Amino acid sequence: MSERKGRSRVLQATKKIGELILEYFAKASDHKARGKPVAWVTVFTPVELLHALSVFPVAPEHFGAMCSARNFIMEYLEEAEKRGYSQNLCSYSRCCLGYALSGMSGLMPPPDILITFRNSCDVYVKWWQSLQAHLGTPLFVGEAPYVLAPEDLENYVLDYVVKQLMDLIEIVEEKFKLKFDEEKLVEAVKLSDKASELWLEALKLRSNKPCPLGGRDSASDIFPLVIMQGTVEAVQFYEELLREVRGKVEKREGVIENEKYRLLFDGIWLWYAFDLIKYFEDKGAVFVYEPYSEAWAYRLDASKPLESVAKKVLAMGLNMDIDLRVEKFLKSIKEFDIDGAVLFSNRSCKSWSAPQLVTAEIIGSKYDVPYLIFEADMADPRQYAEAQIKNRIDAFIEVLRERSCTRE
Amino acid sequence: MYAGVDAGASATKVVIIDENENIISHAIVPSGINFKTSSNEALKRALEKPGLSRKDVLYVVSTGYGRELVDSHKVFSEITCISHGVHKLFPSVRTIIDVGGQDSKAIRVDEKGRVIDFVMNDKCAAGTGRFLEVMASILGKPIDELGVLHFKSLDPVKISSTCTVFAESEVISHVSKGCKVEDVIAGLHNAIAERIFSMSNRIGFEREIALTGGVAKNPGFVEALSKKIGFSLILPREPQIMCAFGAALLARKHFMERV
Repeated sequence: MSERKGRSRVLQATKKIGELILEYFAKASDHKARGKPVAWVTVFTPVELLHALSVFPVAPEHFGAMCSARNFIMEYLEEAEKRGYSQNLCSYSRCCLGYALSGMSGLMPPPDILITFRNSCDVYVKWWQSLQAHLGTPLFVGEAPYVLAPEDLENYVLDYVVKQLMDLIEIVEEKFKLKFDEEKLVEAVKLSDKASELWLEALKLRSNKPCPLGGRDSASDIFPLVIMQGTVEAVQFYEELLREVRGKVEKREGVIENEKYRLLFDGIWLWYAFDLIKYFEDKGAVFVYEPYSEAWAYRLDASKPLESVAKKVLAMGLNMDIDLRVEKFLKSIKEFDIDGAVLFSNRSCKSWSAPQLVTAEIIGSKYDVPYLIFEADMADPRQYAEAQIKNRIDAFIEVLRERSCTRE
Repeated sequence: MYAGVDAGASATKVVIIDENENIISHAIVPSGINFKTSSNEALKRALEKPGLSRKDVLYVVSTGYGRELVDSHKVFSEITCISHGVHKLFPSVRTIIDVGGQDSKAIRVDEKGRVIDFVMNDKCAAGTGRFLEVMASILGKPIDELGVLHFKSLDPVKISSTCTVFAESEVISHVSKGCKVEDVIAGLHNAIAERIFSMSNRIGFEREIALTGGVAKNPGFVEALSKKIGFSLILPREPQIMCAFGAALLARKHFMERV
């Protein structure tokens, strides 16, 4: 492409993420060293409860993303594959199992308890059961009924989840001789809610032209919300980020200098290929909306902490009806004035990828928004065919350019 | 004069056109491992034929996998180039299927030749020219003969695997069981046609439908695909250079816009 390769601007906040993550893992190890329990949780686990129990939550999925982004995931993937785990399995699960099978001497401290909820991913339970078998660590599996309308939950559904949360509290109290602290729960719920509020506000500002917060920012800056919910550090991070984004809006400073195409990105990002975001930006295309970035943002009500947390367990995107997903997509197209959609069909994440075609076809037909679907893996760099993907991106950008010329 | 250079995964194609968008000459050379060398060689050959020199070329557009490595003024994707090339020759075409050395694509264009939608094969070699090359070498047949042998087949075998490596063992097992080579070849053509049919089906088969790319030179495959789709296919006289032709048209267009 002959477009001038302008320098894309990453937020100052984004540059601090690496350090924040390292601090977080250091805290987890420190917690463990002081004889207190560490939980390995799947990322849609209500960690607010764990804070109220003085259990430190770490998320192997996030660990997998980090290993991939920092280019040392192969060590763990190969370890799992050496033991016979197939390359067709989710790469987060392979990374985690490889890590568990190779001594767990990296950043993530070994677990004292394994906690998962059946609320989003198909692999969670079997993956956590395999960990239990390999490590002999106690396991808690929570159930979440499928949700058709999150605003109109049946009481029995909510009661069912609340009851399980109470079970979890009881099990942890008994197992580790800890006392559940309700005040701490309220505090964690408030902090969680605040972090979500701030992040959602920042995401909303992406409707501005030029867009002040790009794909590189959103892909990184989601992490405090994924793994550090209920902490002061997360709230501080988002306060700072929001201030910065507001400043950019005031100064009309965008991610790129000459914003031509505003894109939606669907899927988990390819953690080993952040340069692909820059590849889009060099062609004048900026990501302004990703359903993934909203996936952990959920407003909580501190006056009903347990119930509110239970609702959050239920309302996770993948646990909901496809219509709700489509509705979100459609709304975003107007709100963010989107020119095209890029859908990453992720070999690891079938739950996310399976409905993509239906979603894309609906947005294509309702709004005449062109879309591109490409295939790779979120964390396993061996599944990434760079030349072929860039080839598709080039063609897609040419389609967008042609359409924008026609409109003018 | 204007040049379009299509540095493809297996062959590099160059088309030279004049001010009136007529094809003056073309050349096809194997890409090898150095796109710069192969594109220079192809350009040299294409210019030699009508007695032209590099200085006669006002503008060059490159495309194909090696597009960034070729000396050119501007770069376009194959999707855009193929659409331009085909539309120029066959304005009634709405669907283009291109089967090249390393990938295959289906493109939907509107009445002005603009790309509306496209799909490409996933990253494996099944459904591409490379697949046929591998199979031809297993069968010990030159690639050009596959098309002829296809028509001798009375009972094509069924190749069920879409993976090149697995299909290879299937082919070996068919041959060792005593199946006729022509039946295996027809089976392979059917398998690729099947694969390309399912891929293209997402954007639909609005008529007219054109077939381009190096594999379109194989009449056995053309028959298998058109049977599968249920319509006859429009075939350019030299289907392999449509993309380079489109690139040359874009070269002319961009040169004109510049001056």
